[in-house]
Amino acid sequence: MRPLQLFDLAFRQNEWLAQRQSVISQNVANANTPGYKAKDVESFEDAMRKSVPMAVTNPDHLSPSGNGVVEARENDPYQAEVLVSGNDVSLEQEFINSYDVMRSYSMNAQILKTFNNMLLTATKG
Amino acid sequence: MSDPLLASLKSAASGLFAQSARMRVVSENIANASTTGKTPGADPYQRKTISFESVMDENADVDVVQVDQISRDKTPFESQYMPGSAAADSNGMVKMPNVNMLVELADMREASRSYTANTQVIKQVRELASTTIDLMRTS
Repeated sequence: MRPLQLFDLAFRQNEWLAQRQSVISQNVANANTPGYKAKDVESFEDAMRKSVPMAVTNPDHLSPSGNGVVEARENDPYQAEVLVSGNDVSLEQEFINSYDVMRSYSMNAQILKTFNNMLLTATKG
Repeated sequence: MSDPLLASLKSAASGLFAQSARMRVVSENIANASTTGKTPGADPYQRKTISFESVMDENADVDVVQVDQISRDKTPFESQYMPGSAAADSNGMVKMPNVNMLVELADMREASRSYTANTQVIKQVRELASTTIDLMRTS
């Protein structure tokens, strides 16, 4: 078993969830901005796959910005209709996403806590 | 990369600010709903409109919202027959402000809905942060 890998994974997911939350809040803040299109982050699986660092053969090489990728929401079955102002933010959808983030975040924290307790039991005896 | 949770707070706060600016414009319009001119034939209060724009905040790496411009509504004024008014022209007609109460109320309702949505986001972010802090508190 690789305990550290689990901590790393949990950390990465927390980072991704926080990023998602920031995209949600910018959507909510721009809910009345003309021409604003709702955004979402790419799925955690995709972000994980991309986060494996590329080989750097020259110190001047730029590294791709892994976690910050923000893409427009496409092919969303619940997509709100686009208003005359060109804005397609749906507050309902944003809050559903937000609760999703909340749920995963606390589950993550709970798993970390349990795992930490296991480690403590092992070390303290 | 800056802390995404702090960035969320920043963007939600910008939303709160923008919506309260909108609320201010609505209340100006409602307060001046029957402000006529002072001299005969003068133009009355002209309704104000507000529009927002999305701006990239370079420090926090997040899109915040800010007030784009506050302009005047160019809808023509309606005239009313009020010969006793100081603003009445030679026919006794007074130009009334182009403020429509229903539009203002709908606008106010939408502003308050968006404001609540932003406060909800702030609550959520606080809860996320305290979940992490609670990890350190126990065990």
